[in-house]
Amino acid sequence: MGFFSYWLRGILFLTLLVTFSFAGNALSFDGSVEVITHPGVNSNYLSKNLLRSIFGMRLRTWQDGLPVRVFVLPDDAPLHSTFTKQKLNIFPYQLRSAWDRMVYSGTGQAPFVVHTEEEMRARIASTPGAIGYLSGSMINDSVQVVHIDE
Amino acid sequence: MSNSRFSTIAFFLGSSALSLIFLARSVLAEELPKLQNLDLFKLNGFLSQGYIKTNKNNFFGHSNDSGSLDFREIGLTASLRPSPKLQLSGQLLHRRAGEGSNGGIHIDFGFLDYNFANTPAAEIGIRLGRMKNPFGFYNDTRDVPFTRPSILLPQSIYFDRTRNLALASDGIQVYGESRADWGNITVQFGAAFPQVDGHDTEISVLRSLQHRGDLKTKLSYIGRILYEQADGKLRLAISGAQANVGYSPGYNDTLLNGSFRFSPLILSAQYNAERWSITSEYALRHLAWKDFGNHAAFQQSFTGESFYLQGVYRFYPNWEAVLRYDLLFTNRKDRSGKKFSASTGYLYPAHNYYAKDITVGLRWNITPAIMLSTEYHRINGTAWLSPLDNPDMSHTGKNWNLFAVQASYRF
Repeated sequence: MGFFSYWLRGILFLTLLVTFSFAGNALSFDGSVEVITHPGVNSNYLSKNLLRSIFGMRLRTWQDGLPVRVFVLPDDAPLHSTFTKQKLNIFPYQLRSAWDRMVYSGTGQAPFVVHTEEEMRARIASTPGAIGYLSGSMINDSVQVVHIDE
Repeated sequence: MSNSRFSTIAFFLGSSALSLIFLARSVLAEELPKLQNLDLFKLNGFLSQGYIKTNKNNFFGHSNDSGSLDFREIGLTASLRPSPKLQLSGQLLHRRAGEGSNGGIHIDFGFLDYNFANTPAAEIGIRLGRMKNPFGFYNDTRDVPFTRPSILLPQSIYFDRTRNLALASDGIQVYGESRADWGNITVQFGAAFPQVDGHDTEISVLRSLQHRGDLKTKLSYIGRILYEQADGKLRLAISGAQANVGYSPGYNDTLLNGSFRFSPLILSAQYNAERWSITSEYALRHLAWKDFGNHAAFQQSFTGESFYLQGVYRFYPNWEAVLRYDLLFTNRKDRSGKKFSASTGYLYPAHNYYAKDITVGLRWNITPAIMLSTEYHRINGTAWLSPLDNPDMSHTGKNWNLFAVQASYRF
């Protein structure tokens, strides 16, 4: 039983440490987030369910047969969290679990990960069939904004 | 076509899929530089090292002495999608986990997936090769630390003692999905040959490694129906399988040309909220031996029962706590194990027939690619202990603790 009590004390200590050192650290982005696509994608609006199928990596092509290319920011990016909650109405960890289940069972592929919003905009503007998201202030004419039906 | 030949063909298909992926990768890179930035090819991998310490009994190596570092998982996953309809996928796995998995590199899966139709409302397709068995919520990705809620999966359902039979199989699978506002339904059904090599299957089916003959794989069936709410909050699944194993007696064998059938049925449910998830699975596992000859141990059939209830609490960004109660009865008509113990003349203790495990654990996702986890198990009973790590099952400890820590990396 010796190591159990040490283990428990260790965990308690760690928990307290974490709680105090990070308390109040908000991890969400408070501006607006928009879904964007390559200008050649032939859809100006999408239903929320279709958007969930796309970002869940279930839908592989657009209606005209062009492959869907999904771009996301890393899991811990505040804008990624805002996007999944606001536009998909799901939590980032659910999306991550769904991708992992596909990748590590071979039944699907994960999205492309970009590290900055500038990179997101450049990749989407240059990749046919691409879809991703940007904060409102980052949007310009190189990409197409898509409206999401509630 | 004989079973072993089919299995060889499926294995060949699996390995061809893997080599094709690498070949096509190099061809594409040379011939189609423009396609390269579309990244038709994806490579992922993971690596983990664990440490396990028990105060009695051995789990994943000699955990009872100074603790065991004999728990390591290394995987390389590749996929190639030359067209939206076609995907080739493969995974190589190196796993050390005590005597049951003692290294080497195996083809965990390797198959070809053809997607006949994929519309916003539905998809349908077929897979050919070696596929992970769609079994409960976790079997498909059971060796990937990041996909598990804890270091060890609930052992009542995801046995590490007898894992090969349920792990993956060689054959064909059809799948389909219906997508609607009220949710998605995914159906998978496969006819395939399970993997019966390895000591863990041999000792589970034949009860010892002393028999002269060999196990042989036979055509088996597996299926899963999964319902997910559109927002993924509620997930429900039912999985069923019939795994068939034959026996070819050796020279001067005391056993005849018998067969073994494992038929599990699993009900799974999960609810996901922002800060917490609750998961529960219940399984009935029917085991039957027949035609092995006149031996009491090989003329029986019984049904085992498994259940766990698990809560995960995401108390701080990138931190998770897990609490689980996991219950296993080898034979649901002998939950106390007393009949079993009596039948062995009290040589084997009753607690070999059940296991009740309370687990608490903590996980820290340091970055999306690096994870540290730790957990503590308080266990009553030894039903899921491996006889390979504990050769003398007549002297196992009834109440014991298991402590584990694991570091994992992925790309």
